[in-house]
Amino acid sequence: MLRHSPNGMVDVAVVGAGQTKYGNHALGLKGMWAEAASKAFASIDGDFSPSTIDEAFIGSIAFGGSQLGNTAALLTEHSGMDGIAVRRVENACASSGFALRDAWMAIKSGQADVVVAGGIEKMNDLTPERKRYWLGVSGDTEWERLAGLTFPGTYALMARRYFHEFDSNHDDLVNVSVKNHLHGSMNPLAHIQKEVSFEKAAGGFMVADPLTLYDCCPTSDGASCVVLAADHVAKQLTDAPVWIRGSGAASDHLALHDRPSITQLKATQMASSRAYSMAGLEAKNIDMAEVHDCFTIAEVLATEDLGFAARGEGGKFARHQEGQLNHGNTTINASGGLKSKGHPLGATGTGQVVEVFKQLRGEVESGRQVRDAETALTHNVGGSGATCAVHVFGRDR
Amino acid sequence: MSATVWMGYLIDHHEDFTVVQSPFVLDGVRVFGADSDATTLAVAALLHRLQHGEVESISVPEGMDGMSLSMATGVPLHSSESEDSPDWDVLMSDEATVVLARHEREVELTSMDVEVQVDAEFHHAMQQAWDQELSATHVSQGAYVSRAQYEEAGSSRLSLTGQVADKGLVWPPRFNHMVDGSNAPNRTLQRTGTVQTWTTLSAAGAPSEFSLRAPLLGGISTVLLQLDDGPKGVFLTVDDEDALFEMEAPMELVFRRLYAQEGFIRYGLKARTVYD
Repeated sequence: MLRHSPNGMVDVAVVGAGQTKYGNHALGLKGMWAEAASKAFASIDGDFSPSTIDEAFIGSIAFGGSQLGNTAALLTEHSGMDGIAVRRVENACASSGFALRDAWMAIKSGQADVVVAGGIEKMNDLTPERKRYWLGVSGDTEWERLAGLTFPGTYALMARRYFHEFDSNHDDLVNVSVKNHLHGSMNPLAHIQKEVSFEKAAGGFMVADPLTLYDCCPTSDGASCVVLAADHVAKQLTDAPVWIRGSGAASDHLALHDRPSITQLKATQMASSRAYSMAGLEAKNIDMAEVHDCFTIAEVLATEDLGFAARGEGGKFARHQEGQLNHGNTTINASGGLKSKGHPLGATGTGQVVEVFKQLRGEVESGRQVRDAETALTHNVGGSGATCAVHVFGRDR
Repeated sequence: MSATVWMGYLIDHHEDFTVVQSPFVLDGVRVFGADSDATTLAVAALLHRLQHGEVESISVPEGMDGMSLSMATGVPLHSSESEDSPDWDVLMSDEATVVLARHEREVELTSMDVEVQVDAEFHHAMQQAWDQELSATHVSQGAYVSRAQYEEAGSSRLSLTGQVADKGLVWPPRFNHMVDGSNAPNRTLQRTGTVQTWTTLSAAGAPSEFSLRAPLLGGISTVLLQLDDGPKGVFLTVDDEDALFEMEAPMELVFRRLYAQEGFIRYGLKARTVYD
């Protein structure tokens, strides 16, 4: 039966969220998932039993191929969610951003009251060669991979073109790296918890010219889990729900060469436009954003595509450190972002929600809290921009 | 004689035959370049010949990839069951030389005066890498492009066959016409374009299917070209070890080896700087 909120539909809240530390994790898939789920359940203020969960959506690329089939069923049986409908959601690095959207839709549709969205990836138990294979499986294999491209190469092509079209150079990317390492140095869940100087980041080992090691996110193990509830259930579980005010998603050409422009991500523009519209908010109203900085150039492009900077001004936005914690209008990647917090592909999207959940409830570590944060945005991109999910959150509905 | 450079090779053109030769020389002997073989030389010879007239069919020697040759040039292979003789024969020489000749015509090989000396250590290491890559027992962790998938897109990948659509030329081809019922006639695009952006991946960052050769080349380079006919594409470059690129610089596309897996070479078009 559909239950209606005053505006005609049920509202959806995040009532619990947890994640493992990202990095080189000693545990395998089952253990990492159990850790993330248990932290999410423990974060719920009221009495909660996982037996009340109706559905679960778990994002993963199944990196390494160790558990490509029935991934979700394998994981949920280790977290007290026996017998419910589960499935793996796969959209490359945006897998759990889309898992969140699917979970949100399940509640919106009235078919479920309590739904888990999560993500997981185990990346650091592979040989370097096998790892390089899996890092390149989400582009257009037949055309991009045969042209020698993995994602560092793809984003390097974008970066060089961006420098050519706009007033920007590699220093702007270095500023993104320095900022995100600063934020990540304060995050105990981050993969790389140390600051990096401008000089060191500027002189890093060249991975894909012009991108250096300090422009690239690490490959991380990790899992994340969030619990969503319909409004009438949420109020029984917590006095401080984090409401999902808008959800938008979109797709674009898989291959870079099929896109009219490679210095903007159309999927991000469309997804954010839909999410903002649903939330009744604009970019200027967002206090903090967790954006998909798999490479530093990706954050520069995202600040433009999400509306925090004008077209062509993303480099300047980074140069002036407008996204630094409590520095400008919107703090970008207070968690350290993918660059410093880490990027366990399938876990990243819901991992961003874990950060937002804590920030909007004022629960992050001292010194890393976004001041007076009432609204937040998550931005999760698949591959070089073929898929994108954007969510807008608020302390108020 | 003074040779003409064509698609990175040396060409000697006659009415009844075309000689194509590698410019690279090691210890006085012509050798193939890093991503060349007899098939790539034969494609260059045939494309040069097609500038001067039609070639109805060709016969190829054993050991040459006739299917890729045909897909790259549009010239059908002569059927062994046919009672007619082939129009042209492809002949292989020992020294990185291929001859395309009218069937059963006499050929006169001339010595070409362009010689690019190659480093012996680099050449042998590259040969070993290709031999290892081509071994049927070598299981690469590279992206898997099956033979069926390779052949399905063969004409578009190897000869730049695109589609004429309402919005202009489309390449690589799409299958939307199967859904919307539109007519999408084919058209072969020019093999020239200009650089829109580029990157050089370090050997450590290169895809794993290039893991044997990328360290020898000092990485691999990829360019995104705006083709002169409109569409864009990404291409590996030839002569990676000397890669120097500029925005809007003209490049041409030449037929070369990409990588091997399961004893089967995947060929494709690579970008080469056009020099004045």
